[in-house]
Amino acid sequence: MKRYLIEVKKMALKLRGESSQYRLPPTVEVVRGNIIKYGNPLGLSGKEIAGWASDLNLPREGEVLLYTGGEYQLVPYIDGLVDMLTKVDQGSVGFSLMMGFRNLVDRVGVNPEKIVAGVLSGQRERYRNVSRQAAAVLQRMGLQICYLGEEELYSGALLYEYGFMDDLRRHARKLAGLIKGTGARTIICLSPHSAEVFKLIYPRIIEDFHYEVKTFTEALWDLCNSAPGRLVASFNGRVTVHDSCRMARELGITEEIREIFKRIKGVSLIEPEFNRRWTTCCGGPGKVLFPELAGKIAARRLDELMSTEADVVVTFCPYCLAALDKARREGQRSIEIQDIIEFMYRGMAE
Amino acid sequence: MRSLARAFQKYTTELNRASNDPNIQLALARAVKSYRENTAAALKRFPHTVGLAEEVRAIKQSAVERMDDLVARAREAIEANHGRAYLARSAEEALNLVADIIGTGKIVVKGKSILGEELEIREYLLEKGNEVWETDLGEFLLQLRHERPMHIVSPSIHVPREQVAEVFTEFFGREIPPDIAAEVGAVREFMREKYFKAHFGLSGANVVAADCGALVIIENEGNARLCTAVPPVHIALVGIEKVVPTFQDAMKVAEVTWRYANYPVPGYVNIISGPSKTGDIEKVTTYGAHGPRELHVIFVDNGRSEMAADPLFKHGLYCLRCGGCMYECPVFQLTAGYFGYRYLGGIGAIWTAFVAGGLENAAPLIYTCLRCGRCVERCPVSIDVPSMIAELRRRIAALAY
Ligand code: SF4
Repeated sequence: MKRYLIEVKKMALKLRGESSQYRLPPTVEVVRGNIIKYGNPLGLSGKEIAGWASDLNLPREGEVLLYTGGEYQLVPYIDGLVDMLTKVDQGSVGFSLMMGFRNLVDRVGVNPEKIVAGVLSGQRERYRNVSRQAAAVLQRMGLQICYLGEEELYSGALLYEYGFMDDLRRHARKLAGLIKGTGARTIICLSPHSAEVFKLIYPRIIEDFHYEVKTFTEALWDLCNSAPGRLVASFNGRVTVHDSCRMARELGITEEIREIFKRIKGVSLIEPEFNRRWTTCCGGPGKVLFPELAGKIAARRLDELMSTEADVVVTFCPYCLAALDKARREGQRSIEIQDIIEFMYRGMAE
Repeated sequence: MRSLARAFQKYTTELNRASNDPNIQLALARAVKSYRENTAAALKRFPHTVGLAEEVRAIKQSAVERMDDLVARAREAIEANHGRAYLARSAEEALNLVADIIGTGKIVVKGKSILGEELEIREYLLEKGNEVWETDLGEFLLQLRHERPMHIVSPSIHVPREQVAEVFTEFFGREIPPDIAAEVGAVREFMREKYFKAHFGLSGANVVAADCGALVIIENEGNARLCTAVPPVHIALVGIEKVVPTFQDAMKVAEVTWRYANYPVPGYVNIISGPSKTGDIEKVTTYGAHGPRELHVIFVDNGRSEMAADPLFKHGLYCLRCGGCMYECPVFQLTAGYFGYRYLGGIGAIWTAFVAGGLENAAPLIYTCLRCGRCVERCPVSIDVPSMIAELRRRIAALAY
């Protein structure tokens, strides 16, 4: 630790000698500022994020916590925000450290409501529904879940990604307190990004963070096993899987999803050339800073997935879903892209 | 006032331009396809390579732990072989050493060396009034185009044959068709004369054996062989992380390097441990027979010790420079070396921070990495680039706020 601090100080001296401003690009600033101020990367209100569950009466306490982190709910807005920010002068004085999504209107004259309005309501609905469907699938399979509702905070994965460890520590403490209050012992994360920080980072920075952390896919697989025959999905056709980088390489989860498909009648699984640990990235992690490039990476991944000639691409990460689906829309490609949650729910609803 | 935000803006524009450039896209698509096919075929034909790569990781790991000692032993061995060996702590020291040996008004033929790029040695020697020629075909092309390498193994990976023909037609002053064989022929003819006129041959080395002082240089064209054998003096520049304990270790490192660089076996493997010598007349050892009469080996630190002292970043020193990770990087596949500074790709971002460019030049690269981890899967020595990128972001954030 001491050595690390010396290194940092040395680098700091080297840099400060030449540079009086060492700020990161404004998109990163905005995301960071929003997480600090509003608890999530886009500064959406708790009501907007938890709206999907308003009539479900999910309890606040219980053994198993369903944790959405707001991520599926947030993704449709990311493109709008990035679009707007890349158009604004990057050196503009308006971009101060704590500038939040909701403050943009005062600082640079961009109305955040426009971004909200700019996202098609269908899109908004779809992503909000993913969380709702996740709850429905788990409940249908007999699991009792609790949910933090409007109090739920984002996991802070982006603070970790961008290197803001002190901010993450502060944010994580708040969230850990809330989670503790539920009395849960297991956390089911809808996004592999939150599962990753809960599994690998929180235990390092928060005392007393000892939970069984599962991704939705793992939870689903466990439920299948504990109560065989209860798998409710049904689908007839060819499915291909897009392994998310975090899921396959960071968390090492690749087989559960395939085992689930084996149990679903009518599904024929076709593997893309690059699968499991060899999966190629959807470009999602680059979206905030390099949106154009991210779009191209997504289009390439979509090409790889389409060459399987599957009817449906199944993903299990909100960013993969959003990136690939955007590439599909923009490229006017005729393949369906669904999250595993949507896929399971569809079978259940049919 | 300099700000990272501005640096990002300029860099992003370049990245986007590269990803929109049809020539870059065409050339990279061809290269990635061949790389994958060739590597798969090479690993299939020599399946022991995967296990050997694990052994090489262990060799590099222990070599980096005792890097100073190994460099000292390599220097002694080279001196014992009648070569001269030096240790340069900084880029400046390395350049001064080379300048002292070469002086001005000389002709220098140079083989491919990433360390050469790090030191910007060609530009430096040109400034000192020398004539310097890159002899690797790709690098020669880039010299003419006034561009920097876009891949560590295939530096001109982004230039398709049609553009090569245009450049050569202009330089040679005669029509060179967009036919690869004709293009290669034209350079060969031009370069031949340079080899024989050159006063100095400059090269890097892929790996060095501490026990016997042997430098191993892997190549395909035969240019490194000519550079290091024809001019009367050979100067080799070597990063201190390249030294491994024994000759056998060096061979293992070399084999893994070329296999992951997509070759079943390279055209040539040069092993050089001292100046050319003969004892054929009256058994009197005389230096400078057919080959160089002098060999100077300059070991360069320039930030490597700092990496070696860091428990996380020392892993970056295991890099063999096979270039495999770059072909598998989704960003590199679209932008070539624009995702880079002197060193390229994710691993390049780490080297940029410590060795060539500093954290400020590295910052945009560090934030470009998707941390998707595909490079780790490809890397023969499993370098965990995403973890190092995360740590560098932490350091940047700590500086910025
Ligand atoms: S990081 Fe690994 S794959 Fe990339 S060049 Fe170095 S050794 Fe090769």
